[in-house]
Amino acid sequence: MTWTTRIRTLYQAFFLLLFVWLLAHLAAGDPRAFPFTVFHHADPLSATGTALASGTIPGALVWAAALIALTLVLGRVFCGWVCPLGTLQQLASFLFSGRTRRESLSVNRYRRWYAVKYYILAALLVGALAGTLQTGLLDPLSLAARGLASGLWPALPGGRPAPGGWLAALLLVAIVVVSRWIPRLFCRAFCPLGALLGVFARFAVFRIHRGSEACTSCTLCAFACQGADEPLGNHRVGECMVCLNCLPACPEQAMSYSALPPLPEPPQQPDLSRRTLVGTVLASLAIAPLLRATGGGRTAARARLLRPPGALAETDFLERCVKCSLCQQACPTGAIQSAIAEAGVEGFWTPVVVPRRGWCEFACTRCGEVCPTAAITRLTPARKTGYDGKPAVRIGTAFVDRGRCLPWAMQTPCIVCEEMCPTDPKAIWFEEAVETARDGTARKLQRPRVDAARCVGCGICENKCPVGEEAAIRVTSVGETRDPLNRLLAGSVQT
Amino acid sequence: MSRRVEPTITRREALLRLSSTVAAAAAVGAGVVAFHDRRTVTAAPAAIPDWRTPPGGQGPAAAARGADPAANVRRAIAAIGGIGRFVRPGESVLIKPNVGWDRIPEQAADTDPTVVAELVRLCRGAGARRVVVADISCNDPRRCFASSGILAAAGAAGAEVLDARRLRLVPAGLSGLAEGLEVVEELLRADRVINVPVVKHHSLSRVTIGMKNWFGVLGQGRNRLHQDIDMAVAELGAIFRPTLTVVDATRVLTANGPVGGSLADVRAVGAVLAGTDPVLADAWGAALLGHRPDALGFIARAEQRGLGRSDLALITELGTA
Repeated sequence: MTWTTRIRTLYQAFFLLLFVWLLAHLAAGDPRAFPFTVFHHADPLSATGTALASGTIPGALVWAAALIALTLVLGRVFCGWVCPLGTLQQLASFLFSGRTRRESLSVNRYRRWYAVKYYILAALLVGALAGTLQTGLLDPLSLAARGLASGLWPALPGGRPAPGGWLAALLLVAIVVVSRWIPRLFCRAFCPLGALLGVFARFAVFRIHRGSEACTSCTLCAFACQGADEPLGNHRVGECMVCLNCLPACPEQAMSYSALPPLPEPPQQPDLSRRTLVGTVLASLAIAPLLRATGGGRTAARARLLRPPGALAETDFLERCVKCSLCQQACPTGAIQSAIAEAGVEGFWTPVVVPRRGWCEFACTRCGEVCPTAAITRLTPARKTGYDGKPAVRIGTAFVDRGRCLPWAMQTPCIVCEEMCPTDPKAIWFEEAVETARDGTARKLQRPRVDAARCVGCGICENKCPVGEEAAIRVTSVGETRDPLNRLLAGSVQT
Repeated sequence: MSRRVEPTITRREALLRLSSTVAAAAAVGAGVVAFHDRRTVTAAPAAIPDWRTPPGGQGPAAAARGADPAANVRRAIAAIGGIGRFVRPGESVLIKPNVGWDRIPEQAADTDPTVVAELVRLCRGAGARRVVVADISCNDPRRCFASSGILAAAGAAGAEVLDARRLRLVPAGLSGLAEGLEVVEELLRADRVINVPVVKHHSLSRVTIGMKNWFGVLGQGRNRLHQDIDMAVAELGAIFRPTLTVVDATRVLTANGPVGGSLADVRAVGAVLAGTDPVLADAWGAALLGHRPDALGFIARAEQRGLGRSDLALITELGTA
């Protein structure tokens, strides 16, 4: 291992460990204020997508501009040196490859279809402009975070199950494992973040340079090329991940990575067909309205679509949520899950509160603290609980199912829901009633009722309800603070 | 990386590979046969020990008042024979406060941290080998133990503070309404158990103090017990016989219990009772909330069962320090 490789490997290991370490601490509920969002804040794909979709630029995402600036100087160092998903793929390709030199050479040649990522990027960004933000589906940082959160943490001791998590886990495993046959296939062909950085990397000051006098065209430089950018011939700067494997590979020391004057002729364009690109742009303009029309729309409130506390109104929320899953990991009770069908096609993998999995802890504001794009507003405990004198933040309203509730249906005392209710005074109260039991005896019962003006929809009543699988008190989204149209009570909101 | 091996293999190698495949498959199969559908071996449900110590010459309970909760704890325990009567050198002690809720001490939904910490210190001073502070919270356990101040205070006093994430539940063969519920394993390991409830309003049992505090050592399904709360609490009092009950009335929660919230519902009483009679302890707490003890169903039932007495005159009132 030469010193360039060694330094790069150290960087990669550091960033991979940092990424996993931060996520693990976040998921473990570490109360310290680590910079959990640091990777996502530096993600230009999220930043661009959110900016295009919402027409605003989330402040913290200006770090993404710094990454683009870095790319303009050094090329796609993020891909080769930082990205945890890239590192995982490179590791898999290194560990499991049994390629001969001839196979290595052929597998690390550029393929025209590697340009697919540019179409994906165009589709995602145009789709965002047209109002649907889907970058998170393929963003490597979101995918890596989600794969770990849904696929690995639940399997660890004490891990909470993440229903539907197998999908993200399988995707992550597939991306990593396929590197055994084609190194960094995801980066080369599909990664929209890599494509975005590639657009800027073409203008990079520092580039791989081949001294044509010394070169004997032996092709050794291309054996371990991570980006399949063909340093031996017409070097594709936009594809180069600056792994620097070509430098020590050259027996003639003809390769160098140095500051170069701008390329004489216009730098090589991504291998795009104009027709396909126009088609992609037009098709993706249609994506948003189609998804909305066929996915059920997003203006009509959905009963079981409970968003985390502080989430913006659905339209604004979907224009900002980058599906990074950080809120899901931050939730101490496991209430926040990834939507599969709850939020329509468009809202696939967006966070949704599932009270039977966990409840929204009354004074907890963790999800908003880690949201990188402010799709979930940062709340203070005083603001969320209403202790500051203004109305509390509600995510829905609880409803008693009188057909299942023990006091209502079975003449059996219970009121666990009332006991758990965190508001002050409690949103759940009870009326006392005396009923005649089957054997003729009189039974005094406390039948729970919900005071909708007090209920914040936290769902601890539904979570703790002793009536098995389907609770006898359930929270639906009506009354949520974020949607003024989804109101239950007339008049001014109290609490 | 070497050149690709020959495309054909020898008969010897083919046989070797085939037989190793068969051996591997047989090993997997044998493993499946040996381990499939093996029920977890469930140990016979452990009996709940009786943690009481032989009676001394002192009264069944003493209550101390004063501004310093720690001093109240010391005085009350001293008046019923001192900690040495209850904890002997080398014993392991489990302290069971109420850490049910993500509330701060001023909201009086959880046991006061200074009371818990002082008990830890006393047990340590008496030579306890190990002091565990444990509870299965209703809210997120991390937040409960942090907000209540008990994690910091009891930890600093030398206790092992265990929340629900670190407590193992085991079948215990409970009878009555609690049948089928699991209990915290640490409880079965402890030589001595000290119940440290806080005095609170509860809309089903009217008050929640000591015997109701045993809900916190039970596992999933404990909310079934609300179906006949008075009976259930009395039964829990018969199942769990603590060495000592220390009732924290530094602040009491008078309404909106057991979660509370508003400081308007909290009354500063500044008292602590220590006693060996759990029924008397609950009766004292109930009286603080303005109830006649014998009017409360679970106290009446517990007294009928002979678990203790509710006659407040039996309490040694130490007064204000």
